[in-house]
Amino acid sequence: MSPNPRDPGRKDGVFEREPARRVFAAELRECRYQFKEGEDEKSPTFVLIPTGERCNRIFLVGTLTEKQRQGDQNIFYRGRVVDSSGTFFVMAGSYQPEAMQQLAKIDTPAFVAVVGKPNLYQTPDGAFLVSVRIESITVVDKATRDLWVLDTAARTLDRIDAFKASTAPDVIKAKEQYPAIDVAVFRKIAYDALAQIKI
Amino acid sequence: MDFSEAAERISRKFSQKGTEVDPKKIEGKLRRLVNEFGVQPSEAERSVTNELAKEFNLPAMGTGGSGKSSGAAESKKIADVTPGDWVTIEGKVVALSTPASPAIAQSGIIADDSGGIRFVAWAKSNAPAMTKGSYYRIESAVVDEFKGVANLKIHSGTVVKECVNDGALIPSTVPIASLHPGVCSVRAKVIQEWDSSHERMLQSGLLGDETGTIKFVIWKEAGKEKLAVDSVYTIFYAQVDEFNSRLSLNLNTAEIMPEEGDILVSGGSLSVRGAIVHIAPGSGIIKRCPVEGCNRALSRQNYCPVHEIQPKFIYDLRIKGWLDDGIKTHNVLLQRDVVESLTGITLEAAQEIAENNPLGMDEVFLRMRDAILGRYIICHGREIDNRLLVNACERLTYESGEHTALLNRSGSAS
Repeated sequence: MSPNPRDPGRKDGVFEREPARRVFAAELRECRYQFKEGEDEKSPTFVLIPTGERCNRIFLVGTLTEKQRQGDQNIFYRGRVVDSSGTFFVMAGSYQPEAMQQLAKIDTPAFVAVVGKPNLYQTPDGAFLVSVRIESITVVDKATRDLWVLDTAARTLDRIDAFKASTAPDVIKAKEQYPAIDVAVFRKIAYDALAQIKI
Repeated sequence: MDFSEAAERISRKFSQKGTEVDPKKIEGKLRRLVNEFGVQPSEAERSVTNELAKEFNLPAMGTGGSGKSSGAAESKKIADVTPGDWVTIEGKVVALSTPASPAIAQSGIIADDSGGIRFVAWAKSNAPAMTKGSYYRIESAVVDEFKGVANLKIHSGTVVKECVNDGALIPSTVPIASLHPGVCSVRAKVIQEWDSSHERMLQSGLLGDETGTIKFVIWKEAGKEKLAVDSVYTIFYAQVDEFNSRLSLNLNTAEIMPEEGDILVSGGSLSVRGAIVHIAPGSGIIKRCPVEGCNRALSRQNYCPVHEIQPKFIYDLRIKGWLDDGIKTHNVLLQRDVVESLTGITLEAAQEIAENNPLGMDEVFLRMRDAILGRYIICHGREIDNRLLVNACERLTYESGEHTALLNRSGSAS
């Protein structure tokens, strides 16, 4: 017999693209927890940010300050994109040929908009590193950077405001995973980011 | 399914022929076929009957003919039946449709005050022909699922009896947003009429009410008429089908009554602000099929999926992409005039680039991508089938008021 078409599994037909979250570098840097939804090889991986949101994809705008070509056989590019709170480490390898070509063409410094997937790594000496695998990177103007700061500040404040009372599973998980972090520090980070834009 | 009832029925059939069979044994056989082998209940009943007939050297009796009683079954409300049930219902035949196959004697919709359900009477069932508008009691029919919709099967073990009309039956209409596969009634306005994509199709388009919109289809059939665009109709007993997780209404079985008044259709009209996070292949300058009414996008080799090679294509601009507000990503489709105003590249300019640049059409894609990917825009349009068809869009600009409000918000409670 055919499976019941109202099984949740068949709803896979409707593709829901993972939204690109907005997060400042200083918050993304604090991530220590990465998880996978589902058992499948292709199941999406999420990084849990301390204010309680899962990120499979992020959108960031900042200044590309450095880029470096690495590797001989497998060429890839690393770059540093800086916002007012810290640095995003971005990379594009031969599995992202388009992103790599885009990054290769950009001269530093430049305002860039990056869409990419965050991944959590642990270095041999035990330090954690979040790196963003680029899906696309384009040169933008300062106005776009300012809009991103407003957008990201608003989203961050929304998360902080919801944090205390929320019973959302991701918020509860964040409280478990990051017991030492007081989310109020991200309010200060948002304020500082906003204050750097001249009115 | 109710095994004991079916077993009783089979057992009775044999006792009429002078052979006693233990209903428990029959029930066991039925249960095994249905539960272990996934056999349809009606088929299980047939094969058990035949197997026993063979065993007792009786002529094959099928399952039809005899079912006189089985009054034990409680009749159920139509809204309560689920696939796999063996049911007895009472209702009014509200629609009859042309059977799709000679194996089907009759098909249509039967309804009671709780709702309606499609039924199929197999030719082999020897069920009496039912007439539209009359009430029937249908005993021991099987509910299964056909194309994701519950369906009442009248097989040779089913007893169909006409019964007394118990008054008027007025179906209640459902808001479009809460439709589900099956049989439903709506009150809606025709908001669009589409070019028919099939010669058997009389009309297709979009119906809407205050809660949403849904595609509808009317197939060519004697006595069917087109609906008028912008008119409001009450539609009783339409069939809601599901295909690729999308719902559509088939109106061939429906009772359609024109209505006075107007409905303010929600139409999925929507404004989304966010950043463009992806531009899909097939964006930029494209070639379209010139055949009247086709307008499909052609492949690089100027190949139309329907009209084959079309060297005299027409150029067009479009952008397919994803607009993301950080919470949800919206699939957006921008048409020529919107693309021109957003990217600053007109169709003429794009054509010039495409024809004189070594990268050809790709160059237009790349220029448009560099101009809008990662930018904040606001799109206004209608959402249909999870895609936002954009009528107008503009770039977001920095608002100092918004900035001040956020500064206050972040500075206050710290």
